[in-house]
Amino acid sequence: MGGKVTCTLGEVKQRADFIVYWGGNPAECHPRHFTKYTLMQKSKFLPRGRKDRTVVLVDIRETKSAKAADHFLQVRPGKDFELLTIMRAMIKGQDVPEAQVAETGISIEVLRDLIEKMKKAKYGVMFFGMGLSMTRGKHMNAAALLTFAAEMNAFTKFVAMPMRGHGNVTGADVIMRWQTGYPFGISLNRGYPRYNPGEFSTVDVLVRGDTDCAFIIGADPGATMPKPAIDHLAKVPTIVLDPHVTHTSRLSRVHITTAPAGIAAPGTGYRMDEVPMPLKPALNSPYPSDEEVVRRIKEVIATKPDWMTNQPQMIESQV
Amino acid sequence: MELKVIENATCTFCGCVCDDIELHADDMRIHQAKKACILGKSWFLNHTAEKKYPDALIDGQPASLDDAIEVAANYLYDADMPLVYGMSNTTCEAQKECVAMADLLGALLDSHTSL
Repeated sequence: MGGKVTCTLGEVKQRADFIVYWGGNPAECHPRHFTKYTLMQKSKFLPRGRKDRTVVLVDIRETKSAKAADHFLQVRPGKDFELLTIMRAMIKGQDVPEAQVAETGISIEVLRDLIEKMKKAKYGVMFFGMGLSMTRGKHMNAAALLTFAAEMNAFTKFVAMPMRGHGNVTGADVIMRWQTGYPFGISLNRGYPRYNPGEFSTVDVLVRGDTDCAFIIGADPGATMPKPAIDHLAKVPTIVLDPHVTHTSRLSRVHITTAPAGIAAPGTGYRMDEVPMPLKPALNSPYPSDEEVVRRIKEVIATKPDWMTNQPQMIESQV
Repeated sequence: MELKVIENATCTFCGCVCDDIELHADDMRIHQAKKACILGKSWFLNHTAEKKYPDALIDGQPASLDDAIEVAANYLYDADMPLVYGMSNTTCEAQKECVAMADLLGALLDSHTSL
């Protein structure tokens, strides 16, 4: 997602007068997003608060978030990429065949009206959720939306931002980008980082049975992943760090209980707009923090001979 | 009993990471999470400082932390293609250690993002 056109939530709160939620249900999944950042806040630039903002929801079904939106567009499931591509053509005044528009489940009149409103906005923002990025098309859908937001800048200010789920998943992206240059789906097995989602992403690795030991921290794949992936986790030595004994712990060889981050362990967490926040733990846990346990495991590994310099060089045996 | 008040605490349940929560806690648990949403409240109120689980489990049996760390390190070192995965519900400091460990191991490294 290099070159993503984005901003912070502070800017959204102060300036965004046109807000699109695509494939997300903030009313139930991010309950304070509306009140803290997007709908209800008044600012110097939007003195009347909600009245100065236009909110559009694009989703495959009418969720609770639809009630909070001014316009609801019910896109046919799996047609997000088509709808985004049609809208990208329409903002540039290109002709689009009506039959193709009809396939998305939304009429061309609605789209014309929407695009007119988007172009009149002073500061538009598109939030996209897993309904866009985890359905048919996956990251290509997200790329289409990001391109759409970038192209809207030929007419007015527009930005895009993913609606991130679990706590510090944004931090994981940021830390991996900082340390390896890539956000996820990384292999270090040649001694330098390589990035290839689909090859090195966990579900694919597990389903193919490519790994022979799994270290799981702050996640419960045993409850969320497809069955073949879970079966492979049970087959190989799996190590779990979690504040609770989870589904994954039950099929693991080693479980280590750690203090819950932000509640009993201090540190830093990233907000979805990549703003870091200090955590203020309220409790003292009888368990060590994740940081301490991972560091200690790392230190034990570091005392062993380095795996790479002790292996016969791959190139020699291939020549 | 007097409750400890923590102002502007940070909630890490969802990606909003709200940093204006007022927590009222004693030694054992958080009793109130003011300003938090319904998801945040259950996040704060359902974690306690109780010792509910053993320090560690090896093959399902309670074990000491030191033993578990040793066994985990051996499994990871002995593997040809270890995988380091997750890193959502944890701190950036722990994530940094995970990346360093993966680098040392020549491991696969991945987060929830790819799911």
